[in-house]
Amino acid sequence: MQWMTIFKKEMLEYWRNFKWIWVPLVFILIAIMDPITTYYLPKILDTVGGLPDGAVFEMPETPPVAALMMSLTELSMFGVLVIVLTSMGLIAGERKSGVAELVLVKPVGYFTYITSKWGATLLLVWVSLIIGLLTSWYYVNLLFGDISFAALLQVIFFYGLWLTLVVSITTFVNTLFRTPGVVGFVSIAILIVMSIFNQIFSNKVTWFPNNLSSHIGDMLDSGTISGDLWGTTFIIILLIISLLFASLLTFRGKEMAN
Amino acid sequence: MAIIKVDHLTKTFDGKYAVADLSFELSAGKCVALLGPNGAGKTTTIRMLSGLLKPSNGTISFEGMKEGGDIREHIGYLPQYPVFHSWMTGTEFLVYVGQLANLTKQQASELAQKYLERVGIADAKNQRIGKYSGGMKQRLGIAQAMIHTPQLLMLDEPVSSLDPIGRREVLTLMEELKETTTILFSTHILSDAEEVSDDLLLMHQGEIVESGSIDGLRNKHQTTKIHLAFRENVDTYLTKLREIPSISEAHLERNEIQLAVSNIDHARTDILQIASQENWPLTKFEVSRTTLEDLFMKVVKR
Repeated sequence: MQWMTIFKKEMLEYWRNFKWIWVPLVFILIAIMDPITTYYLPKILDTVGGLPDGAVFEMPETPPVAALMMSLTELSMFGVLVIVLTSMGLIAGERKSGVAELVLVKPVGYFTYITSKWGATLLLVWVSLIIGLLTSWYYVNLLFGDISFAALLQVIFFYGLWLTLVVSITTFVNTLFRTPGVVGFVSIAILIVMSIFNQIFSNKVTWFPNNLSSHIGDMLDSGTISGDLWGTTFIIILLIISLLFASLLTFRGKEMAN
Repeated sequence: MAIIKVDHLTKTFDGKYAVADLSFELSAGKCVALLGPNGAGKTTTIRMLSGLLKPSNGTISFEGMKEGGDIREHIGYLPQYPVFHSWMTGTEFLVYVGQLANLTKQQASELAQKYLERVGIADAKNQRIGKYSGGMKQRLGIAQAMIHTPQLLMLDEPVSSLDPIGRREVLTLMEELKETTTILFSTHILSDAEEVSDDLLLMHQGEIVESGSIDGLRNKHQTTKIHLAFRENVDTYLTKLREIPSISEAHLERNEIQLAVSNIDHARTDILQIASQENWPLTKFEVSRTTLEDLFMKVVKR
Protein backbone atom coordinates (compact mmCIF):
# COMPACT_ATOMS: atom_id res chain seq x y z
CA MET A 1 0.00 0.00 0.00
CA GLN A 2 2.56 2.56 1.14
CA TRP A 3 4.87 1.25 -1.55
CA MET A 4 2.33 2.07 -4.25
CA THR A 5 1.58 5.45 -2.62
CA ILE A 6 5.20 6.58 -2.91
CA PHE A 7 5.57 4.94 -6.32
CA LYS A 8 2.55 6.80 -7.66
CA LYS A 9 3.75 10.05 -6.14
CA GLU A 10 7.07 9.60 -7.95
CA MET A 11 5.23 8.90 -11.21
CA LEU A 12 3.24 12.11 -10.79
CA GLU A 13 6.42 14.00 -10.00
CA TYR A 14 8.18 12.66 -13.13
CA TRP A 15 5.18 13.77 -15.09
CA ARG A 16 5.07 17.25 -13.59
CA ASN A 17 8.80 17.85 -13.98
CA PHE A 18 8.73 16.46 -17.54
CA LYS A 19 11.06 13.53 -16.88
CA TRP A 20 8.57 11.36 -18.73
CA ILE A 21 9.19 13.53 -21.79
CA TRP A 22 12.85 14.34 -21.82
CA VAL A 23 14.43 11.14 -20.55
CA PRO A 24 12.88 8.94 -23.29
CA LEU A 25 13.70 11.61 -25.89
CA VAL A 26 17.32 11.78 -24.78
CA PHE A 27 17.52 7.98 -24.85
CA ILE A 28 16.21 7.92 -28.42
CA LEU A 29 18.78 10.52 -29.39
CA ILE A 30 21.64 8.66 -27.72
CA ALA A 31 20.59 5.33 -29.23
CA ILE A 32 20.26 6.43 -32.85
CA MET A 33 23.09 8.98 -32.92
CA ASP A 34 25.95 6.62 -33.72
CA PRO A 35 24.28 4.22 -36.19
CA ILE A 36 22.88 7.11 -38.21
CA THR A 37 26.08 9.17 -38.34
CA THR A 38 27.99 6.04 -39.33
CA TYR A 39 25.58 5.36 -42.16
CA TYR A 40 25.71 8.88 -43.47
CA LEU A 41 29.44 9.41 -42.87
CA PRO A 42 30.42 9.10 -46.58
CA LYS A 43 27.78 11.65 -47.53
CA ILE A 44 28.79 13.94 -44.70
CA LEU A 45 32.41 13.76 -45.81
CA ASP A 46 31.34 14.60 -49.37
CA THR A 47 29.33 17.60 -48.27
CA VAL A 48 32.11 19.10 -46.21
CA GLY A 49 34.58 18.87 -49.07
CA GLY A 50 35.33 15.22 -49.52
CA LEU A 51 38.67 13.48 -49.36
CA PRO A 52 41.76 15.00 -51.00
CA ASP A 53 42.24 14.03 -54.63
CA GLY A 54 43.86 10.70 -55.05
CA ALA A 55 43.19 9.51 -51.52
CA VAL A 56 41.50 6.17 -51.57
CA PHE A 57 39.40 5.50 -48.52
CA GLU A 58 37.39 2.35 -48.39
CA MET A 59 34.48 2.64 -46.00
CA PRO A 60 34.24 -0.61 -44.08
CA GLU A 61 30.88 -2.29 -44.40
CA THR A 62 29.06 -2.13 -41.02
CA PRO A 63 27.15 -5.28 -40.17
CA PRO A 64 23.74 -4.74 -38.48
CA VAL A 65 24.89 -6.30 -35.22
CA ALA A 66 27.79 -3.84 -35.00
CA ALA A 67 25.39 -0.98 -35.68
CA LEU A 68 23.05 -2.01 -32.87
CA MET A 69 26.04 -2.47 -30.57
CA MET A 70 26.97 1.14 -31.27
CA SER A 71 23.73 2.14 -29.56
CA LEU A 72 24.66 0.11 -26.50
CA THR A 73 28.12 1.69 -26.38
CA GLU A 74 26.64 5.18 -26.45
CA LEU A 75 23.99 4.26 -23.88
CA SER A 76 26.69 2.87 -21.59
CA MET A 77 28.32 6.27 -21.75
CA PHE A 78 25.67 8.99 -22.04
CA GLY A 79 22.66 6.92 -21.03
CA VAL A 80 24.33 6.02 -17.76
CA LEU A 81 25.25 9.66 -17.22
CA VAL A 82 21.62 10.70 -17.75
CA ILE A 83 20.42 8.05 -15.30
CA VAL A 84 22.84 9.20 -12.62
CA LEU A 85 21.89 12.83 -13.17
CA THR A 86 18.16 12.17 -12.94
CA SER A 87 18.37 9.94 -9.89
CA MET A 88 21.09 11.61 -7.83
CA GLY A 89 18.45 13.48 -5.84
CA LEU A 90 16.17 10.47 -5.48
CA ILE A 91 16.53 10.28 -1.70
CA ALA A 92 19.29 12.80 -1.02
CA GLY A 93 17.17 15.58 -2.50
CA GLU A 94 14.28 14.95 -0.14
CA ARG A 95 16.60 14.72 2.83
CA LYS A 96 18.43 17.89 1.90
CA SER A 97 15.29 19.93 1.29
CA GLY A 98 13.62 18.65 4.45
CA VAL A 99 10.58 16.95 2.89
CA ALA A 100 11.95 13.67 4.20
CA GLU A 101 11.37 15.01 7.69
CA LEU A 102 7.63 15.11 7.00
CA VAL A 103 7.49 11.86 5.06
CA LEU A 104 9.61 9.73 7.36
CA VAL A 105 7.82 10.89 10.50
CA LYS A 106 4.84 8.98 9.17
CA PRO A 107 5.00 5.24 9.82
CA VAL A 108 6.77 4.40 6.56
CA GLY A 109 9.23 1.52 6.50
CA TYR A 110 12.65 2.60 5.28
CA PHE A 111 12.82 -0.36 2.89
CA THR A 112 9.46 0.65 1.43
CA TYR A 113 10.69 4.21 1.05
CA ILE A 114 13.92 3.18 -0.70
CA THR A 115 12.58 0.44 -2.94
CA SER A 116 9.49 2.34 -4.08
CA LYS A 117 11.67 5.21 -5.24
CA TRP A 118 14.10 2.76 -6.79
CA GLY A 119 11.22 1.03 -8.58
CA ALA A 120 9.87 4.31 -9.90
CA THR A 121 13.24 5.22 -11.39
CA LEU A 122 13.51 1.76 -12.90
CA LEU A 123 10.19 2.13 -14.68
CA LEU A 124 11.36 5.41 -16.17
CA VAL A 125 14.71 3.92 -17.20
CA TRP A 126 13.26 0.73 -18.68
CA VAL A 127 10.60 2.56 -20.67
CA SER A 128 13.23 4.98 -21.98
CA LEU A 129 15.55 2.10 -22.85
CA ILE A 130 12.81 0.20 -24.68
CA ILE A 131 11.78 3.25 -26.68
CA GLY A 132 15.40 4.13 -27.42
CA LEU A 133 16.42 0.68 -28.57
CA LEU A 134 13.21 0.18 -30.56
CA THR A 135 14.00 3.34 -32.51
CA SER A 136 17.60 2.30 -32.98
CA TRP A 137 16.48 -1.19 -34.10
CA TYR A 138 14.13 0.38 -36.62
CA TYR A 139 16.91 2.44 -38.18
CA VAL A 140 19.40 -0.43 -38.10
CA ASN A 141 16.94 -2.63 -39.98
CA LEU A 142 16.32 0.16 -42.44
CA LEU A 143 19.92 1.17 -43.06
CA PHE A 144 22.16 -1.80 -42.27
CA GLY A 145 20.22 -5.03 -42.46
CA ASP A 146 18.00 -7.38 -40.52
CA ILE A 147 18.12 -8.11 -36.83
CA SER A 148 15.25 -10.21 -35.53
CA PHE A 149 12.77 -8.74 -33.07
CA ALA A 150 13.43 -11.66 -30.73
CA ALA A 151 17.12 -10.73 -30.68
CA LEU A 152 16.19 -7.14 -29.85
CA LEU A 153 14.06 -8.30 -26.93
CA GLN A 154 17.00 -10.29 -25.60
CA VAL A 155 19.24 -7.24 -25.91
CA ILE A 156 16.70 -5.07 -24.06
CA PHE A 157 16.32 -7.62 -21.30
CA PHE A 158 20.02 -8.18 -20.63
CA TYR A 159 21.09 -4.60 -21.16
CA GLY A 160 18.24 -3.38 -18.96
CA LEU A 161 19.79 -5.36 -16.12
CA TRP A 162 22.98 -3.32 -16.49
CA LEU A 163 21.01 -0.08 -16.25
CA THR A 164 19.14 -1.53 -13.26
CA LEU A 165 22.50 -2.02 -11.60
CA VAL A 166 23.39 1.62 -12.35
CA VAL A 167 20.13 2.76 -10.71
CA SER A 168 20.84 0.52 -7.72
CA ILE A 169 24.34 1.95 -7.29
CA THR A 170 22.98 5.50 -7.38
CA THR A 171 20.21 4.55 -4.94
CA PHE A 172 22.77 3.13 -2.56
CA VAL A 173 24.96 6.24 -2.78
CA ASN A 174 21.78 8.28 -2.18
CA THR A 175 21.51 6.73 1.26
CA LEU A 176 25.10 7.66 2.07
CA PHE A 177 25.07 11.39 1.37
CA ARG A 178 22.49 14.12 1.65
CA THR A 179 23.76 16.36 -1.15
CA PRO A 180 22.58 15.36 -4.63
CA GLY A 181 25.76 16.74 -6.25
CA VAL A 182 27.95 14.57 -4.06
CA VAL A 183 25.73 11.57 -4.82
CA GLY A 184 26.15 12.16 -8.56
CA PHE A 185 29.89 12.60 -8.27
CA VAL A 186 30.45 9.50 -6.15
CA SER A 187 28.14 7.35 -8.31
CA ILE A 188 30.00 8.34 -11.45
CA ALA A 189 33.33 7.78 -9.73
CA ILE A 190 32.23 4.25 -8.77
CA LEU A 191 31.15 3.53 -12.36
CA ILE A 192 34.44 4.84 -13.75
CA VAL A 193 36.46 2.72 -11.33
CA MET A 194 34.38 -0.32 -12.37
CA SER A 195 35.04 0.46 -16.00
CA ILE A 196 38.81 0.85 -15.49
CA PHE A 197 38.90 -2.35 -13.45
CA ASN A 198 37.10 -4.13 -16.27
CA GLN A 199 39.49 -2.84 -18.93
CA ILE A 200 42.49 -4.12 -17.00
CA PHE A 201 41.13 -7.48 -15.86
CA SER A 202 38.40 -8.26 -18.40
CA ASN A 203 40.09 -11.53 -19.41
CA LYS A 204 40.30 -12.78 -15.87
CA VAL A 205 36.88 -11.72 -14.56
CA THR A 206 34.60 -12.62 -17.43
CA TRP A 207 31.48 -12.32 -15.25
CA PHE A 208 32.22 -8.75 -14.20
CA PRO A 209 29.12 -6.56 -14.81
CA ASN A 210 30.86 -4.26 -17.28
CA ASN A 211 31.49 -7.26 -19.56
CA LEU A 212 27.76 -7.57 -20.15
CA SER A 213 27.81 -5.56 -23.39
CA SER A 214 30.49 -7.69 -24.96
CA HIS A 215 28.59 -10.86 -24.00
CA ILE A 216 25.46 -9.36 -25.56
CA GLY A 217 27.48 -8.70 -28.72
CA ASP A 218 28.59 -12.34 -28.77
CA MET A 219 24.98 -13.39 -28.29
CA LEU A 220 23.91 -11.36 -31.33
CA ASP A 221 26.75 -12.81 -33.42
CA SER A 222 26.28 -16.43 -32.47
CA GLY A 223 22.55 -16.43 -31.85
CA THR A 224 22.95 -18.32 -28.57
CA ILE A 225 23.08 -17.14 -24.98
CA SER A 226 26.48 -18.07 -23.63
CA GLY A 227 27.21 -19.35 -20.14
CA ASP A 228 29.24 -16.19 -19.57
CA LEU A 229 26.19 -14.02 -20.27
CA TRP A 230 24.12 -15.98 -17.76
CA GLY A 231 26.98 -15.81 -15.29
CA THR A 232 27.29 -12.05 -15.63
CA THR A 233 23.51 -11.72 -15.33
CA PHE A 234 23.64 -13.74 -12.13
CA ILE A 235 26.39 -11.53 -10.69
CA ILE A 236 24.45 -8.37 -11.61
CA ILE A 237 21.23 -9.58 -9.97
CA LEU A 238 23.19 -10.56 -6.89
CA LEU A 239 24.80 -7.11 -6.77
CA ILE A 240 21.43 -5.37 -7.17
CA ILE A 241 19.93 -7.28 -4.26
CA SER A 242 23.00 -6.66 -2.09
CA LEU A 243 22.97 -2.95 -2.91
CA LEU A 244 19.31 -2.66 -1.90
CA PHE A 245 19.97 -4.28 1.44
CA ALA A 246 23.11 -2.23 1.93
CA SER A 247 20.97 0.87 1.26
CA LEU A 248 18.57 -0.18 3.97
CA LEU A 249 21.40 -0.74 6.45
CA THR A 250 23.10 2.60 5.80
CA PHE A 251 19.77 4.41 5.82
CA ARG A 252 18.84 2.92 9.17
CA GLY A 253 22.09 4.21 10.59
CA LYS A 254 21.40 7.76 9.44
CA GLU A 255 19.69 10.49 11.39
CA MET A 256 16.66 11.70 9.48
CA ALA A 257 17.18 15.30 10.53
CA ASN A 258 20.35 17.28 11.03
CA MET B 1 -2.64 9.58 32.85
CA ALA B 2 0.74 9.86 31.17
CA ILE B 3 0.60 9.59 27.41
CA ILE B 4 4.34 9.61 26.94
CA LYS B 5 7.11 8.96 29.39
CA VAL B 6 10.67 10.08 28.85
CA ASP B 7 13.44 8.58 30.95
CA HIS B 8 16.99 9.90 31.12
CA LEU B 9 16.84 10.98 27.50
CA THR B 10 20.25 12.14 26.30
CA LYS B 11 21.63 13.24 22.96
CA THR B 12 25.20 14.11 22.20
CA PHE B 13 26.54 15.57 18.98
CA ASP B 14 30.29 15.02 18.63
CA GLY B 15 30.66 14.58 22.37
CA LYS B 16 28.72 17.73 23.21
CA TYR B 17 25.47 17.40 25.08
CA ALA B 18 22.50 18.79 23.19
CA VAL B 19 20.06 17.17 25.57
CA ALA B 20 21.26 15.91 28.91
CA ASP B 21 19.41 13.38 31.00
CA LEU B 22 15.87 14.52 30.39
CA SER B 23 13.04 12.86 32.29
CA PHE B 24 9.42 13.95 32.13
CA GLU B 25 5.90 12.77 31.48
CA LEU B 26 3.15 14.30 29.42
CA SER B 27 -0.41 13.89 30.60
CA ALA B 28 -3.12 13.11 28.10
CA GLY B 29 -5.29 16.05 27.13
CA LYS B 30 -2.85 18.76 28.18
CA CYS B 31 -1.18 21.37 26.10
CA VAL B 32 2.45 21.56 27.13
CA ALA B 33 4.95 24.21 26.15
CA LEU B 34 8.60 23.37 25.88
CA LEU B 35 10.06 26.75 26.65
CA GLY B 36 13.66 27.78 26.45
CA PRO B 37 16.08 30.12 24.75
CA ASN B 38 17.58 29.29 21.37
CA GLY B 39 19.95 26.36 21.59
CA ALA B 40 18.36 24.94 24.71
CA GLY B 41 17.78 21.57 23.03
CA LYS B 42 14.05 21.91 22.33
CA THR B 43 14.21 20.88 18.67
CA THR B 44 16.53 17.99 19.43
CA THR B 45 14.12 16.75 22.11
CA ILE B 46 11.11 16.93 19.82
CA ARG B 47 12.98 15.23 17.01
CA MET B 48 13.91 12.39 19.32
CA LEU B 49 10.30 12.05 20.45
CA SER B 50 9.20 11.87 16.83
CA GLY B 51 11.76 9.22 15.96
CA LEU B 52 13.76 11.40 13.57
CA LEU B 53 16.82 11.38 15.79
CA LYS B 54 18.11 8.44 17.74
CA PRO B 55 18.67 9.07 21.44
CA SER B 56 22.26 8.55 22.60
CA ASN B 57 20.82 7.27 25.80
CA GLY B 58 17.54 6.90 27.65
CA THR B 59 14.10 5.70 26.68
CA ILE B 60 10.85 7.09 25.34
CA SER B 61 7.78 5.00 26.09
CA PHE B 62 4.42 5.71 24.61
CA GLU B 63 1.20 4.80 26.37
CA GLY B 64 -0.33 1.68 24.86
CA MET B 65 2.49 1.03 22.45
CA LYS B 66 3.61 -2.55 22.08
CA GLU B 67 7.22 -3.57 22.57
CA GLY B 68 9.07 -2.73 19.34
CA GLY B 69 6.08 -0.79 18.05
CA ASP B 70 6.40 2.21 15.79
CA ILE B 71 6.01 5.44 17.75
CA ARG B 72 5.35 7.29 14.51
CA GLU B 73 1.85 5.81 14.30
CA HIS B 74 0.81 7.72 17.40
CA ILE B 75 2.31 11.12 16.83
CA GLY B 76 1.92 14.04 14.49
CA TYR B 77 4.89 16.31 13.98
CA LEU B 78 5.38 19.74 12.52
CA PRO B 79 9.02 20.74 12.01
CA GLN B 80 10.16 24.29 12.61
CA TYR B 81 10.53 24.93 8.90
CA PRO B 82 8.20 22.49 7.16
CA VAL B 83 9.18 21.78 3.56
CA PHE B 84 6.67 20.27 1.16
CA HIS B 85 6.79 19.03 -2.39
CA SER B 86 6.14 22.44 -3.91
CA TRP B 87 4.83 20.89 -7.15
CA MET B 88 1.95 19.25 -5.27
CA THR B 89 -1.31 20.91 -4.32
CA GLY B 90 -2.33 21.16 -0.68
CA THR B 91 -4.91 18.41 -1.11
CA GLU B 92 -2.51 16.13 -2.93
CA PHE B 93 0.10 16.46 -0.23
CA LEU B 94 -2.36 15.75 2.58
CA VAL B 95 -3.75 12.71 0.79
CA TYR B 96 -0.19 11.53 0.15
CA VAL B 97 0.97 11.71 3.77
CA GLY B 98 -2.41 10.42 4.93
CA GLN B 99 -1.93 7.29 2.87
CA LEU B 100 1.60 6.99 4.21
CA ALA B 101 0.01 6.93 7.66
CA ASN B 102 -1.95 3.85 6.58
CA LEU B 103 -5.23 5.55 5.72
CA THR B 104 -7.06 4.38 2.64
CA LYS B 105 -7.23 6.82 -0.23
CA GLN B 106 -10.91 7.40 0.53
CA GLN B 107 -10.27 8.13 4.22
CA ALA B 108 -7.25 10.29 3.42
CA SER B 109 -9.28 12.40 0.97
CA GLU B 110 -12.10 12.93 3.45
CA LEU B 111 -9.75 13.84 6.28
CA ALA B 112 -7.69 16.06 4.01
CA GLN B 113 -10.83 17.99 3.16
CA LYS B 114 -11.82 18.19 6.81
CA TYR B 115 -8.45 19.47 8.02
CA LEU B 116 -8.02 21.87 5.12
CA GLU B 117 -11.22 23.52 6.28
CA ARG B 118 -10.29 23.25 9.92
CA VAL B 119 -6.98 25.06 9.44
CA GLY B 120 -8.61 27.54 7.12
CA ILE B 121 -6.88 26.99 3.79
CA ALA B 122 -9.70 25.19 1.97
CA ASP B 123 -9.75 28.00 -0.60
CA ALA B 124 -6.22 27.20 -1.68
CA LYS B 125 -6.52 23.43 -1.61
CA ASN B 126 -5.99 23.04 -5.35
CA GLN B 127 -3.13 25.49 -5.58
CA ARG B 128 0.47 24.39 -5.83
CA ILE B 129 2.12 24.55 -2.41
CA GLY B 130 4.93 26.53 -4.01
CA LYS B 131 2.55 29.47 -4.13
CA TYR B 132 1.53 29.30 -0.47
CA SER B 133 2.53 32.02 1.99
CA GLY B 134 4.46 31.25 5.17
CA GLY B 135 1.32 31.21 7.31
CA MET B 136 -0.50 28.94 4.87
CA LYS B 137 2.42 26.51 4.86
CA GLN B 138 2.41 26.48 8.64
CA ARG B 139 -1.30 25.64 8.64
CA LEU B 140 -0.81 22.98 6.00
CA GLY B 141 1.94 21.68 8.24
CA ILE B 142 -0.46 21.43 11.15
CA ALA B 143 -3.02 19.72 8.92
CA GLN B 144 -0.50 17.11 7.75
CA ALA B 145 0.49 16.47 11.36
CA MET B 146 -3.16 15.94 12.34
CA ILE B 147 -4.31 13.90 9.36
CA HIS B 148 -4.01 10.46 10.98
CA THR B 149 -5.58 11.69 14.25
CA PRO B 150 -2.47 11.15 16.36
CA GLN B 151 -2.69 10.95 20.13
CA LEU B 152 0.14 13.41 20.52
CA LEU B 153 0.73 16.44 18.34
CA MET B 154 4.22 17.90 18.41
CA LEU B 155 4.84 21.32 16.98
CA ASP B 156 8.34 22.73 16.77
CA GLU B 157 8.27 26.52 17.06
CA PRO B 158 4.88 26.73 15.36
CA VAL B 159 4.60 30.51 15.51
CA SER B 160 8.17 31.80 15.66
CA SER B 161 8.61 32.37 11.96
CA LEU B 162 5.24 33.99 11.40
CA ASP B 163 4.19 37.62 11.23
CA PRO B 164 1.81 38.91 13.95
CA ILE B 165 -1.32 38.00 11.99
CA GLY B 166 -0.17 34.52 11.10
CA ARG B 167 0.99 34.06 14.68
CA ARG B 168 -2.39 34.99 16.05
CA GLU B 169 -4.14 32.62 13.62
CA VAL B 170 -1.97 29.66 14.49
CA LEU B 171 -2.31 30.31 18.23
CA THR B 172 -6.09 30.40 17.88
CA LEU B 173 -5.96 27.17 15.93
CA MET B 174 -3.89 25.58 18.67
CA GLU B 175 -6.45 26.71 21.24
CA GLU B 176 -9.07 24.78 19.27
CA LEU B 177 -6.92 21.72 18.71
CA LYS B 178 -6.02 21.33 22.34
CA GLU B 179 -9.64 20.51 23.10
CA THR B 180 -9.21 17.18 21.32
CA THR B 181 -5.49 16.34 21.30
CA THR B 182 -2.50 16.36 23.55
CA ILE B 183 -0.10 18.98 22.28
CA LEU B 184 3.57 19.49 22.92
CA PHE B 185 5.01 22.58 21.33
CA SER B 186 8.30 24.36 21.63
CA THR B 187 8.78 28.08 21.77
CA HIS B 188 11.28 30.63 22.97
CA ILE B 189 8.57 33.20 23.59
CA LEU B 190 7.06 33.09 27.06
CA SER B 191 3.87 34.89 26.20
CA ASP B 192 3.01 32.28 23.55
CA ALA B 193 3.51 29.57 26.14
CA GLU B 194 1.40 31.41 28.71
CA GLU B 195 -1.34 31.99 26.20
CA VAL B 196 -2.15 28.46 25.07
CA SER B 197 -0.44 25.96 27.31
CA ASP B 198 -1.51 24.35 30.57
CA ASP B 199 1.90 23.11 31.56
CA LEU B 200 5.42 24.36 31.09
CA LEU B 201 8.68 22.55 30.64
CA LEU B 202 11.42 25.11 30.98
CA MET B 203 14.58 24.00 29.23
CA HIS B 204 18.04 25.45 29.37
CA GLN B 205 21.31 24.01 28.08
CA GLY B 206 19.81 20.62 27.41
CA GLU B 207 18.19 20.22 30.79
CA ILE B 208 14.75 20.75 32.20
CA VAL B 209 15.25 23.35 34.88
CA GLU B 210 11.66 23.83 35.93
CA SER B 211 8.34 22.23 35.13
CA GLY B 212 4.74 22.31 36.23
CA SER B 213 1.46 23.97 35.49
CA ILE B 214 1.58 27.62 34.53
CA ASP B 215 -0.43 28.66 37.58
CA GLY B 216 1.59 26.45 39.87
CA LEU B 217 4.83 27.92 38.65
CA ARG B 218 3.50 31.41 38.96
CA ASN B 219 2.59 30.84 42.60
CA LYS B 220 5.74 28.97 43.40
CA HIS B 221 8.07 31.62 42.07
CA GLN B 222 6.06 34.59 43.07
CA THR B 223 7.79 36.84 45.55
CA THR B 224 6.63 40.28 46.44
CA LYS B 225 8.80 43.27 45.80
CA ILE B 226 8.53 46.89 46.85
CA HIS B 227 10.00 49.62 44.70
CA LEU B 228 10.86 52.94 46.30
CA ALA B 229 12.06 56.11 44.65
CA PHE B 230 13.36 59.23 46.39
CA ARG B 231 13.96 62.78 45.33
CA GLU B 232 17.45 62.79 46.86
CA ASN B 233 19.98 61.00 49.09
CA VAL B 234 18.92 57.52 48.09
CA ASP B 235 21.92 55.89 49.74
CA THR B 236 21.18 57.10 53.23
CA TYR B 237 17.68 55.68 53.11
CA LEU B 238 18.99 52.40 51.79
CA THR B 239 21.03 51.85 54.93
CA LYS B 240 18.08 52.77 57.08
CA LEU B 241 15.77 50.40 55.22
CA ARG B 242 18.21 47.54 55.67
CA GLU B 243 17.74 47.84 59.41
CA ILE B 244 13.99 47.12 59.23
CA PRO B 245 13.48 43.47 60.23
CA SER B 246 10.56 42.71 57.87
CA ILE B 247 12.77 43.49 54.85
CA SER B 248 14.87 40.56 53.79
CA GLU B 249 16.83 42.24 51.04
CA ALA B 250 17.39 45.73 49.72
CA HIS B 251 19.40 46.95 46.80
CA LEU B 252 19.68 49.86 44.48
CA GLU B 253 18.69 49.53 40.86
CA ARG B 254 18.51 52.43 38.41
CA ASN B 255 18.24 54.93 41.23
CA GLU B 256 15.34 53.06 42.74
CA ILE B 257 15.43 50.91 45.80
CA GLN B 258 14.14 47.40 45.39
CA LEU B 259 13.05 45.50 48.45
CA ALA B 260 12.36 41.85 48.79
CA VAL B 261 9.99 41.25 51.65
CA SER B 262 8.67 38.21 53.44
CA ASN B 263 5.45 39.76 54.70
CA ILE B 264 4.08 42.57 52.64
CA ASP B 265 1.70 43.92 55.30
CA HIS B 266 4.37 44.25 57.99
CA ALA B 267 6.85 45.72 55.59
CA ARG B 268 4.41 48.31 54.29
CA THR B 269 3.46 49.46 57.78
CA ASP B 270 7.09 49.66 58.87
CA ILE B 271 8.23 51.60 55.82
CA LEU B 272 5.36 54.05 55.73
CA GLN B 273 5.69 54.65 59.46
CA ILE B 274 9.35 55.52 59.37
CA ALA B 275 8.87 57.50 56.17
CA SER B 276 6.22 59.74 57.70
CA GLN B 277 8.08 60.10 61.01
CA GLU B 278 11.29 61.20 59.34
CA ASN B 279 9.56 62.96 56.49
CA TRP B 280 11.32 61.05 53.69
CA PRO B 281 11.19 62.65 50.22
CA LEU B 282 9.39 59.66 48.72
CA THR B 283 8.34 59.98 45.09
CA LYS B 284 7.22 56.41 44.53
CA PHE B 285 5.94 53.51 46.51
CA GLU B 286 5.03 50.45 44.48
CA VAL B 287 4.27 46.85 45.27
CA SER B 288 4.88 44.32 42.49
CA ARG B 289 4.98 40.61 42.02
CA THR B 290 7.64 38.70 40.14
CA THR B 291 6.40 37.16 36.93
CA LEU B 292 7.26 34.06 34.96
CA GLU B 293 9.30 36.41 32.82
CA ASP B 294 11.60 37.00 35.80
CA LEU B 295 11.80 33.27 36.35
CA PHE B 296 12.65 32.74 32.69
CA MET B 297 15.32 35.43 32.78
CA LYS B 298 16.75 34.11 36.02
CA VAL B 299 17.00 30.61 34.61
CA VAL B 300 18.50 31.70 31.33
CA LYS B 301 21.13 33.95 32.87
CA ARG B 302 22.20 31.36 35.38
